[in-house]
Amino acid sequence: MSRRLKNLAVVTAALFMALLPVSCSWNGEAPDREFVNTPQGNFMALWTIMDEHYCFFDLKKEKLGVDWNEVKVRYAASISDNISDKALFEVLCKMIGELRDGHVNLTSPYDYGRNWSWKTDYPANYSKDLQNKYLGKDYVIGGNGYYYRILDDNIGYLVVESFEDAMSDSRMNVMFNYMALCNGLIIDIRDNGGGQLTASESLASRFTEEKVTVGYTCYKTGPGHNDFSKLYKTEISPAEYDLRWIKPVVVLTNRGCFSSANDFACSMKALANVTLMGDTTGGGGGLPMSSEIPNGWVVRFSSAPMFDADMNHVEFGIAPDIRLDMKDEDVQAGKDTYIESARAFIKDKIVNF
Amino acid sequence: MTDSSRCSRRLSSVLVAVLLASLPLRVTAQRQAWTLPESMETVKVNSFAVGRSQARDTYLSGSTYSGFAFGWENDGWAGYEPHRFFRQGRLHSDLYFSYMENPLGGGLTLEFSGRTYEGFMWHAVKNSKCDFLAGPAVMLELGVLYNQQNSNNPVNMEGYFGGGVCADNTFRFSLFRYDMALQATFFTPLAGFSMAPDYDQPYYYMLAYNGGLGKALHFIHPFNNLAFTQQVALVLPIKDKRLRVGFTCDGLKNNLGGHSRFLLNTMATVGFAMRYQTKKWDR
Repeated sequence: MSRRLKNLAVVTAALFMALLPVSCSWNGEAPDREFVNTPQGNFMALWTIMDEHYCFFDLKKEKLGVDWNEVKVRYAASISDNISDKALFEVLCKMIGELRDGHVNLTSPYDYGRNWSWKTDYPANYSKDLQNKYLGKDYVIGGNGYYYRILDDNIGYLVVESFEDAMSDSRMNVMFNYMALCNGLIIDIRDNGGGQLTASESLASRFTEEKVTVGYTCYKTGPGHNDFSKLYKTEISPAEYDLRWIKPVVVLTNRGCFSSANDFACSMKALANVTLMGDTTGGGGGLPMSSEIPNGWVVRFSSAPMFDADMNHVEFGIAPDIRLDMKDEDVQAGKDTYIESARAFIKDKIVNF
Repeated sequence: MTDSSRCSRRLSSVLVAVLLASLPLRVTAQRQAWTLPESMETVKVNSFAVGRSQARDTYLSGSTYSGFAFGWENDGWAGYEPHRFFRQGRLHSDLYFSYMENPLGGGLTLEFSGRTYEGFMWHAVKNSKCDFLAGPAVMLELGVLYNQQNSNNPVNMEGYFGGGVCADNTFRFSLFRYDMALQATFFTPLAGFSMAPDYDQPYYYMLAYNGGLGKALHFIHPFNNLAFTQQVALVLPIKDKRLRVGFTCDGLKNNLGGHSRFLLNTMATVGFAMRYQTKKWDR
């Protein structure tokens, strides 16, 4: 081999070796910015994550008068170098609480930061004791959070406590078989705080005979407050090869219906044979995402807005078709105004049918 | 960067430098520790890998997670048929599992990844002392990152396929009459396609809506996706076996869909080389 080739080989090998420490020192610093774990760094990280990813700034400005830049100036004044961790947490929670969004939370060892005014500022319109009275003792458990029975006047009563889990197809078939001779069905989703969108869609698909557009959705495509993707149709398709319910349905709602339960109410409202009764739902019309600030606290925020079939935001809830309030005299008599009104409504509908 | 990672990087650099400085490059062609496979021959090394991982994926979290990793690596050299333009093939596959914590130790990220590339090599330098191979390569990488801190979007997929360049160098030398070989391999992708969510695109949307998946596929090039796999290994003959002790470093730094991702694995590897005859597929 010529001397030139030998030199080439040696130089190449040396280059490889030299690359090793280079690759080892390849670090993970963000090319644009990296927030530091100081009170100011954590404050700025949280404010910026929200600024770039939260999806309802324009809506919150219009309805609640929240100006996110003004919020930054106001709360930055409370942050100092020697602020305690707990005090910092309280300030940060207050800052994001301005948005009054149940999907906006800050999680730390101190607490789960939240603003639940969408629920707590309104009448409960719900009594667990009364609900249990209607369910009795021989109700059927159709899955985690799904309970049902047939009421004395031959009306099916289904309580959906949560959409954390979906009711399986086979269990839904069993339930609809069980209620096949009922005159109507009451679905009680009061105080259902949500869960999986797929669980609510799966249940809603049993109440339509055709594909129905029940809303629209999009997601954030960039850090600007108005950087959104195109709108995607949200459609409910009839459950194929499974039992479907075509008799009257009443869905009972209150302010405690949030997130997936809000989505369920939105979908059901768009379907024929379905009537929403009760109070406006609590909202939560933004699909949430999470991130983390430098001190390890986790922030959750709404990132993908959802709209109803008429392109209205559902962040502030779904209004019922028939507005109801729990009557004190009914409660004292051991009756649930909501359930009794729904029974009367279904009876009336059957008579008129 | 933490003090411990800085220290380990310095240590590995010093070790390599000391190793290189101590090598009297005396060729002993008669008793070679390592030779490239001839035509229709394959050399395979299955190695156990253990080391350190770092990851930051801003779709999941703004923090850089670091921790330990272990896995399996398979390296191969194949002598292709004589009539083929590229006479040698260089194969590498690995599977890594990483357990990483955030800087405060309060959050957990798990990563499971696998990658494979195959280089089609031109034998640029061939003599008793050195073999230098270089050529184009194709690669595929798939993996998943799970961030325990993140309740709503805890998982991000990693995956890309593309073409790049690969170079492989083998030095044969002896130290105190003991024949050894030092190998170095470098691969970097130059172009291809990668999967990454479109900014805050939820995975649910990708799968639920027509056209949602299309937004998640990105064309990659070195300006938005810089990646490499680098290996340095020492081959030590033990009787009729060949022990291969090495160091693998693979990194990825990209910015796709408005999110940045940084992944780095630095692994020590140990395995034995096996030489096989390649049989032609008889149709």
